[in-house]
Amino acid sequence: MTPSATATAAVVARAPATEPAGGWHRAWRQARRRPASAVGAMVVLLFVAMAIGAPWIAGVDPLQTDWKQVRKAPTLAHPFGTDDLGRDTFSRVVWGSRISMQAGVFSILLAIAVGVPIGLVAGFYRGALDQVIMRLTDAWLAFPFLILAIGLVTIMGPSLMNATVAIGLGATPTYIRLTRGLVLATAAEDYVQGARALGAGDVRLMSRHVLPNIASSLLVQATISIPIAVIAEAVLSFLGLGVQPPAPSWGTMLNAAQQFLETAPWLAWWPGLAIFSLTLSFNLAGDGLRDLLDPRDY
Amino acid sequence: MLDFLVQRAAISVVTLFVISMIVFTGVRMIPGDPARIMAGTDADAAGIEEIREKYGLKDPIPFQYLRWVGLALRGDLGHSIRTREPVVKTVATKLPITIELAFLSLLLAVGIAIPAGVLAAVRRNTFWDMLASSASLCGVSVPNFWLGIMLILFFSVRLGWLPASGFVPLRESPLDNLQRMLMPAFVLGIALAAVLMRQTRNSMIEVMSADYIRTAYSKGLAGRAVVFRHAIRNSLIPVVTILGLQMGALMSGAVVTEQIFVVPGFGRLIVESVFTRDYPLVQGVVLITASSYVLINLLVDVSYSLLNPRIRIKGSPGDS
Repeated sequence: MTPSATATAAVVARAPATEPAGGWHRAWRQARRRPASAVGAMVVLLFVAMAIGAPWIAGVDPLQTDWKQVRKAPTLAHPFGTDDLGRDTFSRVVWGSRISMQAGVFSILLAIAVGVPIGLVAGFYRGALDQVIMRLTDAWLAFPFLILAIGLVTIMGPSLMNATVAIGLGATPTYIRLTRGLVLATAAEDYVQGARALGAGDVRLMSRHVLPNIASSLLVQATISIPIAVIAEAVLSFLGLGVQPPAPSWGTMLNAAQQFLETAPWLAWWPGLAIFSLTLSFNLAGDGLRDLLDPRDY
Repeated sequence: MLDFLVQRAAISVVTLFVISMIVFTGVRMIPGDPARIMAGTDADAAGIEEIREKYGLKDPIPFQYLRWVGLALRGDLGHSIRTREPVVKTVATKLPITIELAFLSLLLAVGIAIPAGVLAAVRRNTFWDMLASSASLCGVSVPNFWLGIMLILFFSVRLGWLPASGFVPLRESPLDNLQRMLMPAFVLGIALAAVLMRQTRNSMIEVMSADYIRTAYSKGLAGRAVVFRHAIRNSLIPVVTILGLQMGALMSGAVVTEQIFVVPGFGRLIVESVFTRDYPLVQGVVLITASSYVLINLLVDVSYSLLNPRIRIKGSPGDS
């Protein structure tokens, strides 16, 4: 082993350790340069807090019906009004954030857990295995996201869990393709070749050298796919294929609100506004993150 | 060039083959006995057995698959359980409605996105750029079914300008048809417009920094001529690809949009067939959707290579 190779290896090994400090510094600078992204990130955190703290924030039980308070316009006691069963809409919107977050985050975690290893193997080993994986991915991608999710929910039955799995599997081919492409580019880099020359095995190369270097791109993709997954859950529930009533999902609430557009329009405002502000904030935060991690100027 | 097209077509055939296997297996994974469902609720054991015999459900699975593919290639996708009509016939009556809707929203999206994207790129970092980019961000983020409901709330319930739902065939009355298609087409087109605008802007910015643009400027061409004669044409090439890839999103969007505005198209058919557990219909509709996605993207690749002869397959697809 030559001294320079050892030095390179040492630098490669040390590089990640010095990154966070610089990262935080850059994050702060970015936050000041892009206030919209910072606000977006804060709103996302607010929604996370709302999802976790739903029992304390909502106050009223989201499933509690009150036949004396059916479809009442917003008042102090019920700031978002009440629905057709006299349930408090504010409480239901707050609890709905839990379902949306669960569906959005867990489905994408599933897509990453399935897609990244497959893409890693395809890009790393190439050859016949890669061809087989890519043809399967092509076919998988040919099913429009929602159609695939509808098909899977038909097979598995409608529920939050199944909707999450269906959305996750719908998003998986994107991660296979992205990972494969990134691996193809990264595997040719000198530091990976260097590590290979030093005798690093395939698993070590993939986990210690390739994966850490493509992680930021995967993270950026996650900020793009989570809002899509949040909307997908709302759509599935809206169509009656996701979360089943009486559970407070924003999608099911909008479905119910459709019948009362003339008499109780506020029922359609709040759940939709909640989805919109969550996805918009995610996209704003994601834009900032992309700038932070990928300094190409767009 | 020809090599590229042949290779691309071969890949599409393989993809279609895999799709057919996925659809076939998927439908067989749906819980419940298809013969029992086809026979109806009041059928006895003998009746169920008869249906099993008639539709070859007792044959080995690979054999069933080959027969299904063979029939599908000849344009026979079986009969709907509910209406007893041939699946192909049902689809043929619904599809034109969705194609019209998709075409209108595409027109709307391209009409908004490309001028806005070019403007944002040319007047980069100005008020116009900010406005276009913010609008695009909102367009990507807004859930289209909520947007649909809000439009109905405003234009139909509040102002009473446009009918909230209902459908009039184009042939019966083009004006009434367009009046009813306006809101659905807008809802369906808005997300597409947002994505296209962003892509046009980015690709325009990239092209504007290319050497030949600098050459065009330095040989004394006016700014407008450079933008229109050189930049736009080249920057639209990647936009065409995005357009092809967005077809899937457009199809997904049609499902939701048709549901909200009660448009009796292909998207509504998908949801109906799922809810009524009409498996031959589900199978046929999903197969047609996925196949048309593959074919559209094959066409996009072909037009892409016609637009830009430099493009060749390198290694395997997906590299680029």
